[in-house]
Amino acid sequence: MSIFHGMNTTASALTAQRLRMDVISSNMANVDTTRAKMVDGEWQAYKRKTVTLQPQGANFSSFLNVALGTSSKDSVGNGVKVSSINEDTETPYKLVYDPTHIDANDEGYVEMPNVDPLREMVDLISATRSYEANVTVFNANKSMLSKALEIGK
Amino acid sequence: MAIEAISLFQPNQINAVQISDKTTVSEAQHNFGDFLKNAIESVNENQKTSDVLTEKLINGEDVELHNVMIASQKASITLNATLEIRNKVVEAYQEIMRMQV
Repeated sequence: MSIFHGMNTTASALTAQRLRMDVISSNMANVDTTRAKMVDGEWQAYKRKTVTLQPQGANFSSFLNVALGTSSKDSVGNGVKVSSINEDTETPYKLVYDPTHIDANDEGYVEMPNVDPLREMVDLISATRSYEANVTVFNANKSMLSKALEIGK
Repeated sequence: MAIEAISLFQPNQINAVQISDKTTVSEAQHNFGDFLKNAIESVNENQKTSDVLTEKLINGEDVELHNVMIASQKASITLNATLEIRNKVVEAYQEIMRMQV
């Protein structure tokens, strides 16, 4: 475990939060997109996207190391990574009555994307605070290392 | 008791001095020189990484801003560490040189 292990963990966290922020931006930008994907000849509206985060190091080599006994089961983690970007298929589309819209169905309803701006704003704030917290952790890490260099001065 | 005549040493009777197991001065210098060289190489690697990432950012390539900052901080830390070690080594040398002969 090098002296930069903590810094690399923090770097992975910052990258993951940035990706989460990018997904939130995509959701907010597409809040009115009715023609996102062509499925069976029909246009489907944009589906809200979410990210799933997973601890890094949950891969084959880490399990192998634990099994071989070269690393203990409760060793320090390796950071976080975004394992997948999923589409939210649970929340239903918002139906808006507008017969004059091009994409209105037979009853005159238009399927609008299932993006709730309020929820996205909350996610945005959460991602921002998490990013700031990780930056604070990094600064504390760096100041600790700098202090170590002052031993014996 | 018979007195033996003095005989000259034959060249093949002279054995080489056995090299002891302890590190000799030149070996110690060699090890320390290697260690210092590796340390400076790693400092250089960190500096180069930081430079490459900064250039990529300026050119607008796909690199995250926080990675650039983190690389520059790592380079700064390793450089400071090497400076401190250099100070200590020089101080130790000067301390030795101050010995009155």
